[in-house]
Amino acid sequence: MTLALHGLGVSRGIAIGAVHLLKRDAPEPTERGLETDEIESEVERLRAAVAAASDQIRSVLTRIPADAPGDIGAFLDAHLMMLNDAAFTGEPVRLIRERACNAEWALALQRDALMRVFSAMEDPYLRTRQDDVRHVVERILRVLSGAAPVAHDKEGENLHGLVIVAEDLTPADTVQLQQAGIAAFAIEHGGPTAHTAILARSLGIPAIVGLPNLRRLLRDGETIVIDGTAGVLIALADEALLRFYRERKRQERRYQTELIQLREAESLTLDGMAIELQANIELTADFASVRRVGARGVGLYRTEFLYMNRTTPPSEEEQFETYVGIFREMDGVPVTIRTVDLGADKLNLSWQRTSASAVNPALGLRGLRLCLHEPELLIAQLRAILRASAFGPLRMMVPMISTLQELRQFMAHLEEVRKELRREECEFDESMPIGGMIEVPAAALCADTFAAALDFLSIGTNDLIQYTMAIDRDNEEVSYLYDPINPGVLRLIDCVLQAGLRHATPVAMCGEMAGDTRYVRLLLAMGLRSFSVHPAALLEVKRVIRRTSLESLASFGARTRLLESCAEVRDLLSELEAL
Amino acid sequence: MSSLTSTITICNKLGLHARAAARFVQLASRFESEIRLIRGSREANGKSIMGVMMLAAGKGTELALIIEGSDAEEAMVELVGMVENRFGESE
Repeated sequence: MTLALHGLGVSRGIAIGAVHLLKRDAPEPTERGLETDEIESEVERLRAAVAAASDQIRSVLTRIPADAPGDIGAFLDAHLMMLNDAAFTGEPVRLIRERACNAEWALALQRDALMRVFSAMEDPYLRTRQDDVRHVVERILRVLSGAAPVAHDKEGENLHGLVIVAEDLTPADTVQLQQAGIAAFAIEHGGPTAHTAILARSLGIPAIVGLPNLRRLLRDGETIVIDGTAGVLIALADEALLRFYRERKRQERRYQTELIQLREAESLTLDGMAIELQANIELTADFASVRRVGARGVGLYRTEFLYMNRTTPPSEEEQFETYVGIFREMDGVPVTIRTVDLGADKLNLSWQRTSASAVNPALGLRGLRLCLHEPELLIAQLRAILRASAFGPLRMMVPMISTLQELRQFMAHLEEVRKELRREECEFDESMPIGGMIEVPAAALCADTFAAALDFLSIGTNDLIQYTMAIDRDNEEVSYLYDPINPGVLRLIDCVLQAGLRHATPVAMCGEMAGDTRYVRLLLAMGLRSFSVHPAALLEVKRVIRRTSLESLASFGARTRLLESCAEVRDLLSELEAL
Repeated sequence: MSSLTSTITICNKLGLHARAAARFVQLASRFESEIRLIRGSREANGKSIMGVMMLAAGKGTELALIIEGSDAEEAMVELVGMVENRFGESE
């Protein structure tokens, strides 16, 4: 009889492998009384265990690959800091001395006291941070009991290809197990926001969490299937079912291989039309992933990171160095820099003149509005971008345009800066294209005006959707309306694309919608010919483009304008998918 | 020596959770000043991760930040900036 267990699939992918049950971490401590002369050596024993536990985490930290997502290290850092907090180094020592008890018991008392505080918290996410307390104490207890760290449980044996089944895993365990080559894991505890779940996604290990009593239902060494996409664990599968999952796994691998092979392929449709496909960059760390997918250009280079977490705005020189650095990193591919799109709420106090406490920053002084309000901020950035334009193919675009008046003010500043640079005999690209982000509905409706005034337009769907639907993206009660296929959103996109056609002004799209494979054919049918997407989505989008013929989409363009509901749009999407 | 007080509102989606608390404490520990966070009747040492986590400051929580010492002004600007930047998190 096949056993199928449904949990929460927190990291996609399929794995088939032998179960490796992780034993219960450490025996639950019991109290042992100490003679007076034993107390100080017990304190020493605890201190040594805390130091050894810290060393274990530090050693995992040093083995994290350089291109791993930053949050992996952040989780481990937090545990390392907790280990060295007085809550674990001070209070248990006091308990050992006061009660003349063993270190394990003192730790257990302190753990229970801390857990009581956390479990009483109202905020559900903060409440689950009692896991962190448990993980940290468990690690010290393991050292005290002389047990090896989790990843070395199967002494001398290789964990390669095994499916780990455990009550819970700490972030450090998860990293170590991945380094030891496990195929997947399933745990009893946890939800989608558990650290272990986030890490599994970052590390690319299929994983299911929230399967109570799992360890009692499975035997060590039996073969199970983990479907991390559906959140299903299958044990005692018959041969037919195993064949099915092996085939699914093969398909998945074929799909991944196909994607990797597309790295060098042109972004061409079946009927030979070239579609521009570029990558978005948010942080300097993204360069590696952009190179990995072989992007031929950067369609959106965000500059906000330069302004964050600091007390003064970045100087012109610092910006210039950063922008010129892009060409080095990206091997001279064309780059579109967006001038800074910060909200007044994101600025630091010392160089901020405006009220920080706007109730709704998305509708406040941000993007171009803020730049026009703080011209010295804008001018420093314009000078840096223009100077960088002498070193490679650069374009510049302006976020959050709402009115022609704003655009004219911006252009006046730009002209002023150009004159200055000419006077200083500073080289720059006189014909650097200037574009605008269309993300405010008013600008989308007047796209003709902006298409005539600018060299290119780029549709920012994330903001366009929230402004068009009048929803706050942080408000969960209305987040169901945050859907790119609302007919109202589609008509505004159509407005921009048509204006671009009329004025022969190229229109790109750089929001999340552009990187969602479900919408690629729809957007092509509507006339979009330039996509800028998150690096992780680039090859998948290229794959759809290469499987689509523009001719087969010809009849769909006009139909998209007649759609009246999301349901109708979804029907059309199914039709497009089936082509 | 100066003593500064400011009210901060936790505005990142997940509140002062472990990683956010870790970032706060790492930054706070760079300063010589004494740094305290107060929520209602509870008070935490801004340089202790467990203390900060146990304030249970979810999104929207208001905290008093009190900094006393030689580098209090700089510490205030940087810590307030970090909280307002949602600890560098995207949401």
